[in-house]
Amino acid sequence: MFRKVLIANRGEIALRVICACKELGIPTVAVYSEADRNSLHVRFADEAVCIGPAKSSRSYLDFPAIISAAELTNADAIHPGYGFLSENAEFSEVCQASGLQFIGPPPDVTRLMGFKQHAREAMEKAGVPILPGSQGILASAGEAREVAAEIGYPVILKAAAGGGGRGMRIVRDGSEMDGAFSQAQQEAEAAFSRPDLYLEKFITAPRHIEFQILADTHGGVEVFGERECSIQRRHQKLIEEAPSPAVTPALRQEISDRLRRALRDVGYVNAGTVEFLMDETGHLYFIEVNARIQVEHPVTELITGADLVKAQIQVAAGMRLSEILDGPVELRGHALECRINAEDPETLMPSPGKITAFHAPGFIGVRVDTAAYQEGVIPPYYDSLVAKLITHGRNRDEAIKRMSRALEMFVIEGIRTSIPLHQRILAHPDFVAGKLDTHFLERLEPERAAKQA
Amino acid sequence: MDLKEIKELVQVVIDSGVAELEVTRGDSKVRIRRQVEAPRQEIVIPAQAVSAAGQPAAAPAPNPAPAAGPAEAQEAAQAEPEDDLHFVKSPIVGTFYEAPAPDAEPFVKVGDHISPGQVLCIIESMKLMNEIEAEISGTIVAKLVENGKPVEYGQALFSVRPD
Repeated sequence: MFRKVLIANRGEIALRVICACKELGIPTVAVYSEADRNSLHVRFADEAVCIGPAKSSRSYLDFPAIISAAELTNADAIHPGYGFLSENAEFSEVCQASGLQFIGPPPDVTRLMGFKQHAREAMEKAGVPILPGSQGILASAGEAREVAAEIGYPVILKAAAGGGGRGMRIVRDGSEMDGAFSQAQQEAEAAFSRPDLYLEKFITAPRHIEFQILADTHGGVEVFGERECSIQRRHQKLIEEAPSPAVTPALRQEISDRLRRALRDVGYVNAGTVEFLMDETGHLYFIEVNARIQVEHPVTELITGADLVKAQIQVAAGMRLSEILDGPVELRGHALECRINAEDPETLMPSPGKITAFHAPGFIGVRVDTAAYQEGVIPPYYDSLVAKLITHGRNRDEAIKRMSRALEMFVIEGIRTSIPLHQRILAHPDFVAGKLDTHFLERLEPERAAKQA
Repeated sequence: MDLKEIKELVQVVIDSGVAELEVTRGDSKVRIRRQVEAPRQEIVIPAQAVSAAGQPAAAPAPNPAPAAGPAEAQEAAQAEPEDDLHFVKSPIVGTFYEAPAPDAEPFVKVGDHISPGQVLCIIESMKLMNEIEAEISGTIVAKLVENGKPVEYGQALFSVRPD
């Protein structure tokens, strides 16, 4: 097992990793920017190193600072959390070269998964259903028009090396293709340094469904069921749940079997999430692989009983899944997660600042993953996540009722939060009925959506 | 001593930040000790030096003990009236070296006058030696880090009295 783990992250996920390390008896090193001097991850790690000023590029994204900190503290492993350097293959390589174990997939796997088009090809080869689309990068708007005619409109152009909504354009008709193509190329070049685009069938009212996977270094692969993350705003998830109300046991089994084969074939190691879109007829189509632990991993932990972060560390230390897991994955009950963000409910602008009162809910079936505390500050330099509120119940209805109760009993003052928005979503009859798709929020708040347009 | 007096003494301890207070009055003696939190250590290295060749360090000293050298040096520096002093801070994470080579003379000593652009020390990071240059003119008042010790971003290396 590792001698010491350095956590190359901040906020709640850094604390989450510290929890896992404490339970495994591994000393931890926190790295922090000057803005995070009073953070909880600094307090609860065994050692802490200030690595730079507030700006991420000079602290949490600064390779030399992080590697130096690992060398100085004699750490032998680095957990990258999510975001920041977690899917940076170059960083993973630098760790390797410096004799540090990166807790995640090997660099070439991270790289493969990062090129969406290559990931699609790998999945298709293993029989995982993929969204109909272009074979490889599009050479021109003309080729795009041909492929779109075959698949049928609407289609969407996407940046090959990107994500998060940038470098994307929906095209509903052949006449729009030239303009959309050149716009998407320019955006992709600016955001990801590569203008390459590919094209996919566009589903009008998709459900976002993703499967949690874990693979060891001995060829073992396990799938921990799926999550539904359809409640999103501009591609940022707000509410996630497990399992998905739309996935039948048969579909779950079929996809799990194919994913096990696919991931074994690409040599995947450690934790990851395989994202799908579900169309109106209940068919799943592969979208991409996120080669890291994700924000919403707790809902999977609650329905399976697995400790995914601990498992990540154990896999990286060379243990087999058969030693790490108690037995085959079984799903019990239903879990929900609300991402409580520091934001103004009217303008949706981030609302950083000092938290003057903080009391998290608890009691039966409630879990709170947070690095926030009373008198603590949400800085303006990073994401606006204040806390993840997660509930578990014997069924979806109980999980929802628990979440409503917990939201009501969550005290956060001094900053504005998204709690009122979460409460509105949970109270909506469509949500209760499980009638979800990624346009749910637009329908809920049409006036707000119009204001932002 | 009655309860009122004892409560007042407790308040004195709290207000003053003193860790322990013992008062004897006649036959009565009271000792009040405040639970002081383990000092937050920002410097990570255990008391033993970490060798650059990467040999595993001996088991680190138990957590609450701050790394002795830098803390003491910093306290000594704080004896000076701080308002007038300029602190040269490390721009990177790494290991502090006061001289260009192990057996060479240090770049600067206490009392030396420095000018902008003058090399004050080296901070080694990932096997690269980074020369740290002075940004102002002045006189070195104190060297705040021991040779070969690790430093973090923003850590004070020298205190300087500006011209």
